[in-house]
Amino acid sequence: MQMTGDETAPQKALVEFREIGKTYPNGTVALRNVSFQVIEGDILAVCGENGAGKSTLMKILAGIEQPTQGTIHYEGRQKRIADPNVAGDMGIGMVHQHFSLIRSLSVAENLALGQEPRRGLLIDRRAAADRVRELAQKFSLDVDPETKVGSLSVAAQQKVEILKALSRNTRLLILDEPSAVLTPQETQELFEQLRSLRARGVTIIFISHKLHEVRALANRITVIRSGEVVEDGVLSEMSDAAISKLVMGVDVTRASRNQRDLSAATPVVVVKKATVATGDSDRRIDAIDLTIRAGEILGIAGVDGSGQEGVVDLLCGNVQPDEGDISLLGRPMALATTLDWRRAGMAHLPGDRFQIGGAPHMSLVDNVMAGSHRDKQFTRGPFLRVDAMVARTNELIKTFNVRCLGPREPLNSLSGGNAQKLVAAREFSSNPKFLIVNQPTRGIDVAAAAMIHGELLRLSQNGTAILLVTSDLDELLQLSDRVAVMFDGRIAVVLENDGLTPERLGPYMLGLEKAS
Amino acid sequence: MMDLAASLLSPEFFAAILRVSTPIILVAMGVLISERAGVVNIGAEGMMLSGAFCGVVFSAYTGSATVGLIAAIVAGMVGGLFMSFAVHVLRANLFLSGIALNLAASAGTILALFSLTGEKGISGTLDSEVLPSVHIPWVQDLPVLGTILSGHHILTYVAFLSVPAVAIFMMRTPTGLRMRAVGENPEAAKATGLSVIRLQLQAFLLCGVFAGAGGAFLSMGYVSWFSQNMTAGRGFIALAAEVMGAGGAYGTLAASLLLGSVDVLAIALAGEGLPSELLQAAPYVVTVLALALYGLRQAKQKTIGTVH
Repeated sequence: MQMTGDETAPQKALVEFREIGKTYPNGTVALRNVSFQVIEGDILAVCGENGAGKSTLMKILAGIEQPTQGTIHYEGRQKRIADPNVAGDMGIGMVHQHFSLIRSLSVAENLALGQEPRRGLLIDRRAAADRVRELAQKFSLDVDPETKVGSLSVAAQQKVEILKALSRNTRLLILDEPSAVLTPQETQELFEQLRSLRARGVTIIFISHKLHEVRALANRITVIRSGEVVEDGVLSEMSDAAISKLVMGVDVTRASRNQRDLSAATPVVVVKKATVATGDSDRRIDAIDLTIRAGEILGIAGVDGSGQEGVVDLLCGNVQPDEGDISLLGRPMALATTLDWRRAGMAHLPGDRFQIGGAPHMSLVDNVMAGSHRDKQFTRGPFLRVDAMVARTNELIKTFNVRCLGPREPLNSLSGGNAQKLVAAREFSSNPKFLIVNQPTRGIDVAAAAMIHGELLRLSQNGTAILLVTSDLDELLQLSDRVAVMFDGRIAVVLENDGLTPERLGPYMLGLEKAS
Repeated sequence: MMDLAASLLSPEFFAAILRVSTPIILVAMGVLISERAGVVNIGAEGMMLSGAFCGVVFSAYTGSATVGLIAAIVAGMVGGLFMSFAVHVLRANLFLSGIALNLAASAGTILALFSLTGEKGISGTLDSEVLPSVHIPWVQDLPVLGTILSGHHILTYVAFLSVPAVAIFMMRTPTGLRMRAVGENPEAAKATGLSVIRLQLQAFLLCGVFAGAGGAFLSMGYVSWFSQNMTAGRGFIALAAEVMGAGGAYGTLAASLLLGSVDVLAIALAGEGLPSELLQAAPYVVTVLALALYGLRQAKQKTIGTVH
């Protein structure tokens, strides 16, 4: 059935948001005057930058948060969705971006949680397992009720999460960036499942900022920017350019890479048969061979936990290899500490800007100075030169366009994107010979991401060897000269990026194919 | 030395282990429930001490041991209420709140004792009751087992019976499942519609029941009076037993029995002329060693557990 705004077909609103507003106690306005309808039987894409308020709106609909203004009407009646149980009773289920599953419990226990079938005082385990089998069969989502959730793959966990959301006669399914953790093939499978749910009459809202996914799945789109609805309409009537402009508010030109031949460039980092067999299992690596040349961006792809973090640990001096050799510009680095690496010209933009990249409660000055507080230009005798430190911070704030109230503010007063820009400014400005960037744009807005991408390309043109670890395949393919795909702690294949596609990487990410 | 060996293998020795382990088992079961619900209860020691005190006072003034036991349990639950109020309403730090409760109980019981009796050390002038011992028919007539198993304080039997009860409660009942969910991932539990605060309050209250009963055992059975700080770190030993038992009821029972045996052994060795101060330190030293070994084993399992 075509749903493209056919005026003759009766379009019934399942949900209507009326002037919804949400202001947090600290004064942050997350949503302002949001009004639109969710039509029954639609797949509605809710788009917007990170921090635009999409997730907040969906949490309000799922009963996790309460609006400070406005009303929600469900099937034509005004409803107060006081908590997730009320939402569940109304037939609203939500699949969270960070799964709401308990890892040590079985699939059946997770699905039963909060509405356990009982036999006397105890949980009726058989009934709980039967319920899962029944649901799994009904929605063709194959899961074993007795398995512990923690031992399932991410894709399987998502299936459980979807089943959980569907477990209470669900008529409206909300998914918050469901593809963020999946490989391209898994995403395709998920979309198939969502289409078949729609065919069964389930209305779907899904949050995404990936335009091609929105196109593939949705028929309507609502764009939210800075807490307000800026567009609400039929998807097929809008161009990509129009949507992307609506999402960002401005035209952002995406930095793009020039195809270059770097085979003759100097190798900067050479890793030979490096193995790390101790520590967390998802950080172990097995006989890794890697070369990163001057001016090259080497991207590392892989399902999260395939050993990417282990390679980062190894090349920033967090761990030393149990076997194998590493060199940086010809210097042996197998036994080097992080300080040795930094002195030899390494810089590192870590995956978590508030845990490893920066100290959230300390000022921007302190965060900018981390690592260079012993430099002559910032000290006088045993004392720090605060004036020089502040000047330096102001300089970086200006060149990297960090939006902040001032250099003395704590890092955590900045938005994610601006905090990341500040940490990136510190790392990038040291003119590194070798730069590690780990998930450089995860959870930050498109404009800040574009700026960081531009800086990475500029550094690579100036001869910096860059190791890019990212689970965002669009970013990976946009920036990398070569792509190494990791699976189970090994490098499955290294591919030249001459028109690589996500589909090409998928089989290697899943361990279905290996380079011969 | 032959005497010592004989006394160590005597039925009385094993009976003493059961007796000495009783308060540790009781409190450890309470600590287990709160820990699995995500609120490690450092305040167990204070709850226990309040229980011991209230048991003596209320039984002395009413002449009823049962009222004393109920008062002890209520005192423990009031401690749980305090913990929940501090942590959930005032948003105070969990550990500091526990320490505050312990200090308040330690000083508060001395103050109350002094205002009631004029004594600061011991409640000797209060004519308090003790809870009865139970002689099990048939079993008490068995040769060796009779001495070991029969004739114990009623709370000793309650302690051992509470272990499977707590195991079933945590693993098989809806409330236990919800508590474990809340303890492991409060955000996820909240998104599922569970009330984190209500479940943790319930866990604190249950912990108070067990800690209060453990305290009552000390002052209304093990001895028949209250003396200042008579819990002597048993609340903390129970915390250690729970960690050594890896959060399982039966493992926690085993760890409690181990720590209880060391205590009994120390008492037996004191008769052999070894310095008693040294021997009194033994249970605590063993607790530290056991926790260190446990930590080492955990670290090792992490590295060998999942080799490709």
